[in-house]
Amino acid sequence: MTAVIEARALTKSYGATRALDGVSFSVEPGRIVGLIGPNGAGKTTALKAILGLTSFSGELRVLGLDPCTQRDALMREVCFIADVAVLPRWLRVSQALEFVAGVHPRFDRGIAENFLRKTDIRMASRVRELSKGMVTQLHLALVLAIDARLLVLDEPTLGLDLLYRRSFYDTLLNDYFDKERTILLTTHQVEEVENLLTDVIFINHGRVALAAAVEELGSRYQQLTLASEQAARARTLQPFYEREVFGRVAMYFEGRSPAELGAFGELRTPSIADLFVAKMQGAGRP
Amino acid sequence: MNTTLADTAGEGPRSSAAATAAKGLTETLRTLVRREFWEHRSLWLAPLVVTALLALCALIGRMHVDFDDAAQVHSEAQRVAIFTIIQWVLAMPLYLVAAFVVAFYLLDCLYAERKDRSIFFWKSLPVSDELTVAAKMVVALVAVPLGVFALALVAQLLFGAILGVRVLAGSLPPVFTWNTYEWLRTELVMLLITVAAVLWWAPLAAYLLLVSAAVRRAPTLWATLPLVLGPVLEWVAFGTRHLMDFINYRINGIWWLLGVHNTHIVTKHEVRAIGTALAVLDFRALLTSIDLWLGLVVAAALVYVAIRIRRYRDDT
Repeated sequence: MTAVIEARALTKSYGATRALDGVSFSVEPGRIVGLIGPNGAGKTTALKAILGLTSFSGELRVLGLDPCTQRDALMREVCFIADVAVLPRWLRVSQALEFVAGVHPRFDRGIAENFLRKTDIRMASRVRELSKGMVTQLHLALVLAIDARLLVLDEPTLGLDLLYRRSFYDTLLNDYFDKERTILLTTHQVEEVENLLTDVIFINHGRVALAAAVEELGSRYQQLTLASEQAARARTLQPFYEREVFGRVAMYFEGRSPAELGAFGELRTPSIADLFVAKMQGAGRP
Repeated sequence: MNTTLADTAGEGPRSSAAATAAKGLTETLRTLVRREFWEHRSLWLAPLVVTALLALCALIGRMHVDFDDAAQVHSEAQRVAIFTIIQWVLAMPLYLVAAFVVAFYLLDCLYAERKDRSIFFWKSLPVSDELTVAAKMVVALVAVPLGVFALALVAQLLFGAILGVRVLAGSLPPVFTWNTYEWLRTELVMLLITVAAVLWWAPLAAYLLLVSAAVRRAPTLWATLPLVLGPVLEWVAFGTRHLMDFINYRINGIWWLLGVHNTHIVTKHEVRAIGTALAVLDFRALLTSIDLWLGLVVAAALVYVAIRIRRYRDDT
């Protein structure tokens, strides 16, 4: 099946700064892809390009469409939540449902109403009367009810408390995701989505630092924890990053076999959060 | 073989998507227009409040008719004329308030969505920028003018009833008489002028819309500044006032072209029914004026630019 997103050499500058500097990646259907990077890495710019909200140079197809020239057709099959609180404050809950029902051919109002019934959100409330968490729930209700093939989330849980964040992702997994659908999300809170993601794309300084399926990470990356005395010898195997943890040293290797490393200490697959830190911190070093 | 299979699999969902395609254009447009009235409640609240205030005036107000030859009021024709003028006077505050709120609506409509970032929500839905912006012009140039015309009509009937009862009760002098034919002619005059005004002022509306789409802040200031500063600068620099005349023409030219000054509805010695203006007002001159049509072309161009700005702007 064709890729949901196919990006080749995406480049975008704001003045002198290069927000995207030749970014290439592809997203297959039925995946949950985390676009992860530090502030200003170009995540939001990449999402904006995918959604046809910004111009760029390079090649980009989303669901086989050109997001710049075929944006209206594209938005029938793509949903997005651009961080929190973009729902207009004057809008009533009932009006939100009515509006989306009036303009979106793939919106099922019943699904949204069912979801909202499980929350504390009342139909007559205006968005400005809702808490931040409730606004996100409302937006989620609208998105769940749209039969879209690609869902793009830009920091969807920023500023929410733990309970709302947890239930947001639970709902996404249980009520929304299936193998027909694809989710692309950016977040700072890597730990929170760690178990959710099937793929990760690390992006830094407008470049892709790593793009891989989560199940591949185990065979590509190793985290070796060893005693400081052993460190010098292990360094000859060229870890791309190391740090000290409780008097021991954690080293991160790419493309080494367990047989090579196992003798030095404790070996495991790094968590996505650890790998992210290692990649970002290690990137600046020779 | 494999590629064929993959291609078909890829095409499947897409063609079913094409089948459900877009919502009907009319339903989408209707939804977009309704949404404008949800957000900008002053569009319908302000005329309603004015109607309520006018009703209050009709209930408790006093009426004073003063002519040099007061005896003329006793003729049937004069009483009918006064009746139509009351209709007219009732409608005026409604139209003025509506024009005012529409102007502010246009200045706000493409600015507020960027200010509160809700543009990201609107743009997450399959509605084109063309249709979104067009809906705003439909609100300003069709929905509100026709709505105000209808509201004025209702208000006039309501007032006719209230004033009629008061005349019967003796709390008002019997200076007017209901006349269905003249009432309809008055409505016709108002409808024609409403349509003419919409056509003439369309470029002004489009100008406000464009300012709303373009500026980063203070749209009201940016909209008025060139209109004030331009003529002043021209006067200082060249001692001429072409710009001032031009602006004045684009605002008031409609009345000159229609020949409103020829209608003589109220003179020192008599009053005429509003309907008599039908024979005087030169709608042909207005509609055949190249300035009207040039104005519409400019309006379309300005709306087009506003659409492009909304589509490609990337600084929210």
